[in-house]
Amino acid sequence: MNARLRDDARILAVFAAVVIAFGVLAQHDAGLSQAGTYVAIFAPAAIGLSILLGNVNQISVGQAGFFGIGAYSVGYLTVERGWPFWTAAPLGVVLAAAIGVGLGFVALRFRGHYLAMATLAFGLIAAGVFHAAPFLGHASGITGIPYPQFGPLTISGHAAYWFAWIVAFAIALLSLAMLRGRPGRAFEAIRNDELAAETIGIPTRRYKIIAFAYAGALAAAGGATFAAFLGLVNPDAVGIALSVDVLLMVVLGGSGLISGALFGAALIGYLNVVGHQWDNWREVGYGLLVVLCVIFAPGGVLGTLRRLAARTPSARAAAPLPAVGAAPRVRAPSAEPLAVRGVTKRFGGLVAVDEVSFALQPGTLTALIGPNGAGKTTLFNAICGVGRPTAGRIAIGGIDVTGRQPHRVAALGVGRTFQNARLFGEMTVFENVAAAAAANRRVADRRAREVIARLGLDHLAGVPAKDLAFGDRRRAELARAIAAEPWLLLVDEPAAGLNQPERERLNADLLALRDAGTTLLLIEHDMKLVMAISQRVIVLEFGRVIADAAPAEVQRDPRVVAAYLGTAT
Amino acid sequence: MLQLLIAGLTVGSEFALIALGIHIILRATRVVNFAQGEFSIVGGLIALTCAEALHVNAWFALAGATFAGFVLGLVFEIAVLRPAGRAGGEAGVTIATIGAVFVLLYGHALIPGWGSDSHPLAGFGGPLNIVILSSSKGVGAIVQVQSLWVFALLLVALAALYLFFERTYYGKAIRAAAENPLGARLVGIDVNSARAISVALGIALAAYGGTIIGPITLVGGAAGFALTIKGFVAAIVGGLESPAGCVAGGFVVGVLQVFLQSRMSYDVADPLVYSVLLLMLLVRPQGLFGRRDAVRD
Repeated sequence: MNARLRDDARILAVFAAVVIAFGVLAQHDAGLSQAGTYVAIFAPAAIGLSILLGNVNQISVGQAGFFGIGAYSVGYLTVERGWPFWTAAPLGVVLAAAIGVGLGFVALRFRGHYLAMATLAFGLIAAGVFHAAPFLGHASGITGIPYPQFGPLTISGHAAYWFAWIVAFAIALLSLAMLRGRPGRAFEAIRNDELAAETIGIPTRRYKIIAFAYAGALAAAGGATFAAFLGLVNPDAVGIALSVDVLLMVVLGGSGLISGALFGAALIGYLNVVGHQWDNWREVGYGLLVVLCVIFAPGGVLGTLRRLAARTPSARAAAPLPAVGAAPRVRAPSAEPLAVRGVTKRFGGLVAVDEVSFALQPGTLTALIGPNGAGKTTLFNAICGVGRPTAGRIAIGGIDVTGRQPHRVAALGVGRTFQNARLFGEMTVFENVAAAAAANRRVADRRAREVIARLGLDHLAGVPAKDLAFGDRRRAELARAIAAEPWLLLVDEPAAGLNQPERERLNADLLALRDAGTTLLLIEHDMKLVMAISQRVIVLEFGRVIADAAPAEVQRDPRVVAAYLGTAT
Repeated sequence: MLQLLIAGLTVGSEFALIALGIHIILRATRVVNFAQGEFSIVGGLIALTCAEALHVNAWFALAGATFAGFVLGLVFEIAVLRPAGRAGGEAGVTIATIGAVFVLLYGHALIPGWGSDSHPLAGFGGPLNIVILSSSKGVGAIVQVQSLWVFALLLVALAALYLFFERTYYGKAIRAAAENPLGARLVGIDVNSARAISVALGIALAAYGGTIIGPITLVGGAAGFALTIKGFVAAIVGGLESPAGCVAGGFVVGVLQVFLQSRMSYDVADPLVYSVLLLMLLVRPQGLFGRRDAVRD
């Protein structure tokens, strides 16, 4: 398990003890008990935002809107329709999740922070609807909401404290389980490098929408308990101020940590009570705290404490490169792995790729060479779905993939490495590889271990990718690319920056993959490597194919020589 | 109708300036400034102090507020945005601007003479305040002279910005730094200063806008956040990446708001204006004047 999640679970256990102790001590003090209940009511909204901000790096300023949906659902359905809390609350949560999916779909299609703006608008629109809808009581809201009835027991007073905290901890544990599973890995990959996450087949937008809708659903759950225990809800209670309070809780407590959200909720709950009489000063203080926290303690209070407490990673021993293991046979469709027809890519007036056409045969290794700026990486990008080609078609295994999103291309069995080795820096080598070895978790973990062993990376499996030496980074990225067992592998300058033994090792790894049936397309500047291992060489110059033949032939081609050495005229 | 149109264009001028400031700061820092409206409020209050405490006329008050906005913007960039970006990336900067909203919104209320109430601000047009437009069909409208000043001063600001960004060396350098920081650095442009000046210009624009609209809408109070959001809506309507779009979007939002407010309560009208933002994201995310590829990856 990821170190952050392990620490998070430990801190949560401590918090559970604190909550129980507080509950026992406060049972005869209605004021304290109620203050504790308040914290539990706002905690779920903070947990949701903590996941959204800390795991997929998106900001929401609309948690109050979702909170309001939960609160008004319970208010309306119990008071006007006579529903019990137990059906009204889940309906509110589902409604919030559905609206979250819709809003996420609208606002997460684009790069940049549209979500922050859209959620701000959403929060205000929701408040407007609560205000305007005739059956929601306008400005005075809904009052007289009954306490939840559990058999003969009415949950009110101090029982509400226990109930609200059981809900909050259930949500915390559910979230922890989700973060440990496949969504958590996907979130982690997206936070580290969105493009790399796409190219290993993670539908990044879908996961961001999931995170956003989940955050909204949690806020609605909090809103539902709010309505039930306070007995009322009105537009002011679920206004923009609450959204910003929730953001404060997360930023101060520690985004990305579930325990951080709980801590932040308790902290803001406490400060709101203590700072009661200094209204304007208190808010100025909050603003300053947020700014200072972002600058000096980006992980919030708990994140910073955790970082201070963390031991420095032990130094790695330099290990010899083990022998190449045999790669398992690749199940490839019979059709052409890759067919590029008349592909052109323009950037404004610049034609980066100009009517390029070629097709690859299964189980072959083809090199794509050319001077810098010839359009090689642009062509790779176009094949992988990063940037739609201006003209032309691309087919993979006989399926037209022109303009498909990168994760959908990856899902067809296409792997890729990047010129600058885009690993997920804060994840270990094992986590990097496992993130790509999709399927269910047990299978993914086994496959990740196999691939790591095959590439001789065992001794580095637990090392965060950002701490790797350059050559190891490249090999780890290759491991990640082949973890999903692609039958078409695009490798972008894998030998750049490698020393001689590492190059030989790479050479052997690539050949082993080819022999197992993988079709490889390789961009490389190291001519010795290219000539030694490729069966076919395609040469690009100024975006056009100027030669496409066997290595020996290409070496003799006067046009290729001229492209590389300049014409002697 | 004409009356509402003119009222809409007048408040729209303020939204246009907010949107334009958001655009300039976004281009330089890649981040949306949530505190833009608060800076506009503070700018108007600074003009108020200039006019009342220092007894200068409206023109000097405007110059003072704009200059103060520029200085505040420099401080904001150097002391808040830059370190926040270093520590927390784009998300960190966005959150820091939300923190700044708190400091400015509740902080200005603590300053003697400002408080949390709105104040009237002396106009530019002298005592004569009303012009009557009428046509042969009898459709007339009462126009405050102040509205005409708002339009004129908006045009002055737009012309100055255009000349600065298109015609001067510094303006072009700032644009280059925003477009391609690495390339700009390589040709010797100080990217950090360019960014600071962009932010300072954006904030100066907010203060300028808050001052020229002040005589009509009052200055001060808690209206800053609503201004920011209407600036967002304007920028999204016109096109976040297009300066002309931001201005046009400001007018569209201003007119829309005034028309809606004339037909229903503010509690309903304002959320309807905000929902235009979501609608635009759904049907035309690049805005009315933006290019499609400006938002796509």
